[in-house]
Amino acid sequence: MSLKLIRPRYGTFSGGIDLPDEKDATLESPITPIEHLSHLYVPLAPVHTTPAKPIVSIGQRVHQGEKIAQSSGDGQVDIFAPVAGRVSKFCQVILPVNTPASLCQNRDEYIIGWRVSPAIELVDLDEFEPFPSTSSTYDWLAADDISLCERIAEGGLITFNQRTVALANYISAARNAGVDTLIANVMENTPYITSDHRILTERGLEVIGGLSIIARAMKVSNVILAVDHRRTDSYRQAIAPSRLHGIRTIALANKYPIGSTAIIIRVLTRRRVRAEGEGLEVGVAVVDAATCLATYRWVVFGEVPAARVVTVSGPAVKNPANLLIPFGAEVGEVFASAGAEPDCVTIHGSVMTGNEIIKCTTPTGESIPAVVSASTNALLAMDQQSASDDVTPTPCIRCGWCSDSCPFRLNVAALNDDFELGRINSAKRRGCMYCIDCGICSYICPARLPLARRIKLLKLAIVEETARR
Amino acid sequence: MNDLLKQPASLNHGRLIWSRPKHYAPFIHLPESSRNIYRVIFIAASLPLMAGIVIFGWRALMVTILSVAGCVITESAYYRITQTPAMHGRMHGAVTGLLLALTLPATVPWYVPITAAVFATIIGKALFGGMGHFLWQPALVGRLAVTVIFAPPLFNTNLVAPAKWSVLAQNRVILGDVCKAKQIEIYHQWQGTPPPTDCDAFKLPRPRKILRKLTLSTDQPPESITSVILKMPPAEDLILGTHGGGIGETSAVIIILAGLYLIHRSYIRSYLPGMFMLAAAITAAVAPVRTGDGLSWQWCPITAEGIEIGFIYVAYHLASGELLLAGWLLATEMTSRPITASAQAIFGILCGAAAMLMRLYLDFPIPAYAAVLLGNTFTPLLDAAVRPRALKRTPHEFYEKI
Ligand code: SF4
Ligand code: SF4
Repeated sequence: MSLKLIRPRYGTFSGGIDLPDEKDATLESPITPIEHLSHLYVPLAPVHTTPAKPIVSIGQRVHQGEKIAQSSGDGQVDIFAPVAGRVSKFCQVILPVNTPASLCQNRDEYIIGWRVSPAIELVDLDEFEPFPSTSSTYDWLAADDISLCERIAEGGLITFNQRTVALANYISAARNAGVDTLIANVMENTPYITSDHRILTERGLEVIGGLSIIARAMKVSNVILAVDHRRTDSYRQAIAPSRLHGIRTIALANKYPIGSTAIIIRVLTRRRVRAEGEGLEVGVAVVDAATCLATYRWVVFGEVPAARVVTVSGPAVKNPANLLIPFGAEVGEVFASAGAEPDCVTIHGSVMTGNEIIKCTTPTGESIPAVVSASTNALLAMDQQSASDDVTPTPCIRCGWCSDSCPFRLNVAALNDDFELGRINSAKRRGCMYCIDCGICSYICPARLPLARRIKLLKLAIVEETARR
Repeated sequence: MNDLLKQPASLNHGRLIWSRPKHYAPFIHLPESSRNIYRVIFIAASLPLMAGIVIFGWRALMVTILSVAGCVITESAYYRITQTPAMHGRMHGAVTGLLLALTLPATVPWYVPITAAVFATIIGKALFGGMGHFLWQPALVGRLAVTVIFAPPLFNTNLVAPAKWSVLAQNRVILGDVCKAKQIEIYHQWQGTPPPTDCDAFKLPRPRKILRKLTLSTDQPPESITSVILKMPPAEDLILGTHGGGIGETSAVIIILAGLYLIHRSYIRSYLPGMFMLAAAITAAVAPVRTGDGLSWQWCPITAEGIEIGFIYVAYHLASGELLLAGWLLATEMTSRPITASAQAIFGILCGAAAMLMRLYLDFPIPAYAAVLLGNTFTPLLDAAVRPRALKRTPHEFYEKI
């Protein structure tokens, strides 16, 4: 039945690889709210610009969903208290940075992969209450696109992908760019991660609702829900109503990195995104399931975005699960509750593109925690030995697998030579900027060269060189 | 550039102290290593060696052991002395030694494989900086060196390219001594021919040499292509490998099996040997041969005396001599072939056509190997010239925008 509604395969791209799936641990585990958090560090700059201004004072009690910081424009959003609690102090947290080289303002952040954001610490927390079943407060089917945009802007909604931006800004940029296609990207084809899969399985109707709200706000008629062709049976609940909203569901073959924005646009619309460019430039907007869910919860029920579904998994985790975690929960606490082994490599994001969670301290010795934010789709813990870089790199043997599997067909071995010899212009001519940091080249290299990392650094060098000229 | 990677143990950015990440994405890795690749190639290259041991006896094994040991020991010694980490690949040394042995005749004295191994390792590999850096396939560098050294100006007889090559008789395989060989008068095919008394092997001309009479201007030209083909050994001999040649050069079916196994493991891409063979076949089909009177040239030998004779002529050319070994196991060596798929196809065409042209018109003992070395010379050029697809379609516009 569902197979009839879904087109089996749409297209593919050259390069790419089949990664091990490793999702079994959490594929069937339902979304459960996390319990027993002792404190939250709510980041005041979820979007990488000027932080929002706190409007609470120390010692004040806040209830769930109360506004605690006011955006000062500049693309930032208002911050709400994810859980009821007491403001104990103003502090700092670190958040991952995944901006492309040409847009990054601070080279240290690009190299380290983390940035610092001010935060508000909440203690004496009440139990976290997810998805309170309030009745609908807003009739979105009757609203026009302008009022939907305004409503989205009020709620402090952000996109839940790696490049977090305010959803209202994204929508207005899409409207200005004359976007004609909206893609909900639920491919999620890196190992271990199942958060978007669970969201679409359990809350499919709300995701579809949120997707059509965004589509209506963007004034887009061509809406595509891209799902993994192996999991279509789980999405039955969502797919039938999606037809009512004029959403096409397309099942794509699961070949990494089809979930990356540039590739999914190429596969579904045959348009090519400029190197390091955005889909909006070619008239395509891409959102993910978590964003749609949060949009629906806010627009229809007036529930501010306070938490996100995070897959906590990996070989070094005893109880892998899909947890609903409020923003600002310290990752150490999350790993402890999932039973991670003490001596493991902890990763924020996917194993292919994520960042290792590193320690950061102030000069006075106070440690700055990493927290769950909108871009945290997974927190993974790997054993020391299964994390790859331990092996010393040997010379490149020119097997050619890297350039075979690179989705952009870059000659990665030659780029590696350019890195070793410092030939920045030659790397630029070889199209280094097209790299999307998918990590396949490092994954596949039999000489264990850290190619993806080197290319990331090359891109920075190219951008700096171009700016200097 | 490199100092970007050599960060201190902690970073001091924005007054804060960051512990340096120990790992970077991706955090998982394909369970595959260079050493494993070379191990598999070694196993695949052992197949022609086994055929060689059957056909040429224990001397083939001795030559191989000397050559592999020579390569590995030279490599280790060089690493001890200079501490070049890229010279630490013993598995790669073993593969080089094995491939080198496959190209040598089993009749050579002990010092030939050792000299070849030293040349292969020092000139072919060490001078370029070791594993992964060399330009020419090291085994072929060693082979070329001994071809030049152990030949008439320095030695009385040509040790590595004798006029007549020995093959063990059917009832002496594996255990016979290939050096105890005699020429026999009547020989039709290997199967069923008993050896002459007191020896284990017979001496035969290489099939390639018979074919080359059609094009080389050294002796009287034969009357027609048909008359040459009638002098050739039967096709089973060429397919199974029971004819004169290097240890691993002769057995067509085993070489192709080894190559197919490597393609299956995705260590070589089918374009390269495919294009190599195709280019060689087309060249052989088109390139002119001498006419019976020896005065003029006749183009397109494939159609000259009927298409059937033409096909047999081309097939004999492909199956005889070192062409198969060069195309399937030597040109496909990872470091000295180009990287991208299209560049590899061009490389295959270049090597295949050059190998056939050299065989037809140059009186040189190792034409296919020389052609592969020639192709290797152009590898960096091919890699630079063949641009990736993503760039062809959207050229250069991103320079202005970043
Ligand atoms: S995968 Fe590694 S060893 Fe192979 S060509 Fe690329 S960089 Fe070289
Ligand atoms: S070069 Fe970039 S795009 Fe290509 S495989 Fe490596 S990380 Fe992926």
